Amino acid sequence: MTRKTIVIAVREYQAAIRTKTFLVSLILMPVFMGGSIGVQVLLRDKVDTTDKRIALVDMTGRLATAVLADAERRNATDIFQGDGTARKQMQPRFVFEAAALPGETTPEALQALTLELSDRVRKRELFAFAIIPADAISRASASAAAPATTPSADVAYHSNSPTYDDVRRWLTGVLTKHTHEARLSDANVDTKLVMNALSPLRVDNLGLVSREATGEIKAAEKTNELATFFIPFGLLMLMFMVVMISAQPLLQSVLEEKMQRIAEVLVACASPFELMMGKLLGTAGVSLTIVCVYLLGGLFAMERLGVAGLFPKHLIGWFILYQCLAVLMFGSMFSAVGAAVNDLKEAQNLVTPLMLVVVVPLFIWFNVVKEPNASFSVIASFFPFATPMLMIVRMAVPPGVPAWQPAVGALSVLATTVACVFAAGRVFRIGILMQGKAPKLRELIGWMLRG
Amino acid sequence: MNAVELERISKTFKSVKAVDDLSLSVPEGSIYGFIGPNGSGKTTTLRMIMRIYYPDLGSGAIRILGRDHSAAANDRIGYLPEERGLYRKMKVRDLLKFFLELHGHRRNLSEPIQSWLARLRLSDWADKKVETLSKGMSQRIQFIAAVVHSPKLLILDEPFSGLDPVSTEDLREAILDLRRGGATILFSTHDMHMAEKMCDYVLMIYQGRKVLDGTLESIQARYGADTLRVAVEGNGQGLTSLPGVERVADFGRLAELKMSDGADPQRVLEALIGRGRVTHFEVTRPTLHDIFVRIARPKE
Repeated sequence: MTRKTIVIAVREYQAAIRTKTFLVSLILMPVFMGGSIGVQVLLRDKVDTTDKRIALVDMTGRLATAVLADAERRNATDIFQGDGTARKQMQPRFVFEAAALPGETTPEALQALTLELSDRVRKRELFAFAIIPADAISRASASAAAPATTPSADVAYHSNSPTYDDVRRWLTGVLTKHTHEARLSDANVDTKLVMNALSPLRVDNLGLVSREATGEIKAAEKTNELATFFIPFGLLMLMFMVVMISAQPLLQSVLEEKMQRIAEVLVACASPFELMMGKLLGTAGVSLTIVCVYLLGGLFAMERLGVAGLFPKHLIGWFILYQCLAVLMFGSMFSAVGAAVNDLKEAQNLVTPLMLVVVVPLFIWFNVVKEPNASFSVIASFFPFATPMLMIVRMAVPPGVPAWQPAVGALSVLATTVACVFAAGRVFRIGILMQGKAPKLRELIGWMLRG
Repeated sequence: MNAVELERISKTFKSVKAVDDLSLSVPEGSIYGFIGPNGSGKTTTLRMIMRIYYPDLGSGAIRILGRDHSAAANDRIGYLPEERGLYRKMKVRDLLKFFLELHGHRRNLSEPIQSWLARLRLSDWADKKVETLSKGMSQRIQFIAAVVHSPKLLILDEPFSGLDPVSTEDLREAILDLRRGGATILFSTHDMHMAEKMCDYVLMIYQGRKVLDGTLESIQARYGADTLRVAVEGNGQGLTSLPGVERVADFGRLAELKMSDGADPQRVLEALIGRGRVTHFEVTRPTLHDIFVRIARPKE
């Protein structure tokens, strides 16, 4: 590395971190990224607590009373949080009314009742209504007798709010429970005994047992499901944010130097490669600053929340290595685009495919977290443009990955970064003084290959 | 010894030959003027000297300050490009410090910066951002950025373009001082008057090829005393129909007449007297401007 490269890197670093845009991005990026989660958390309690009136047509004649009793119980207790003066209603009341056919149970009468109740929903007198058919309790044996036929729904639930599913889900649970009880009772089986026998088991999610250096066997620790999900996600988003805040502005910086005719003065003092490397190293410095701010901020926040033990200290070294390589790799591409075009509009055409490469890990990270050592996850994490983000995601999920994988991944990213910097250097050298029509992708590839 | 030597250099952009088989030698300590119409290859040649462009493969050699082109140290060269730009958000002092460091200076950075700012009457602007400067001030700062590291060779592409007369004088004096300090100056210009007054040597490039090279006297000597500078009372119309006159450049008060080969100035004077009172008659060599126009004017 030459002294000129360092001088350019220092100027680039100072120019970047002294701007208001940098400070605003530093604050706003996590706000935007975490904003959607934060807003959802904030709005979680801001639900409409207006009563939901539901008509229940129970043609079995055996379930409505139990459902209404359960609803009363729910409205009295389940929908509240806190005690005393802090007691607050968190969910709407479900107010059930029993509806019945006026005369004989004929298809026409049922159709007329359904229409009438539908009109009441349209007039907002009701929120929804449900019809339990007469054979709802006995239907199980009928289905078992003819398993080849597609079973129709047992209960019809009608509403004008298809996206609000709370009532239907609550009703499903309650009706299922009371139908089971009715069926057991009809079969002269001790309902309480069976319900106890069918109560679900809790399965704990534990890590592995290990032997310590003293020979003592260490019991398995209970897996913190929240941590195994949020830590990889947080690291992924942090690396993505750092690339976006530090590498992407390189495009504008190079373009500005080209448009404001600074480039020719610079390439007279330093070679285009020194100039580009200086800019890249300055950008890597900016990214390290951002990472330090965010990691220290994250550690501070976790300490305040009493979960500092979950902070992935063992990954910091790898994270910084991968993040620097990612910034250099993507930064070289962004600076090549900046050198090749004449204005931001032209840049958009070339940036779009580049951005798609950057965001690929965001599309597949969830599958990788679920099965970090599955073939798909391993192969995806060795795709060099995705390696920095996906390898860190895999490493953050216990028990981690075999030790050779991060090392081989880093080497492949390093090789790709060198190739990118080399190719981008050629584009940069040709493009930086070129004015007029922007090159087509084919021409750009020609510049990279032939120089 | 020559500060710059180009030997049969060519540069082609796609199918356009911007510079064609160009050779030149710039003696150390001289002021060397580069003239030629727009698009003739001046800037391309200067960029090749600066190693911004590489000559065509297989074309000749470039030697700068006694070293091969590939090893030429740009740190000993100062360069002022035709299209100028500075980091607008930087302070003037920081910007000049950046350029000094970029040219390899590490210590005593303040002294040359202060000295040059004072010299070009910009000391009060040292801690202002570049974006607050006027166009003329920015151009002077750009000049300082090119010379603040005391280069041995100074390459200036159109240094006087867009400057007011006071700034032009400041720059001219600074360039002459640098030459007195031992630097070699190579500059391109469209200002023939300035080239005549300042340059020890002049090179004219036209359509990528060298068409003139030498001292002003030697160039003028090639054309001989074929020019008449005359003033005739009246409107001076009909000068082209004078016997032996090939072309007329009418400047209003004076007119310059280019005589055809073998024409006799005496016969022209006789014909002039017949057309009105002659107040000025001078047999002279053509000016650089006139030579430029003769070469570069499209053939009728």
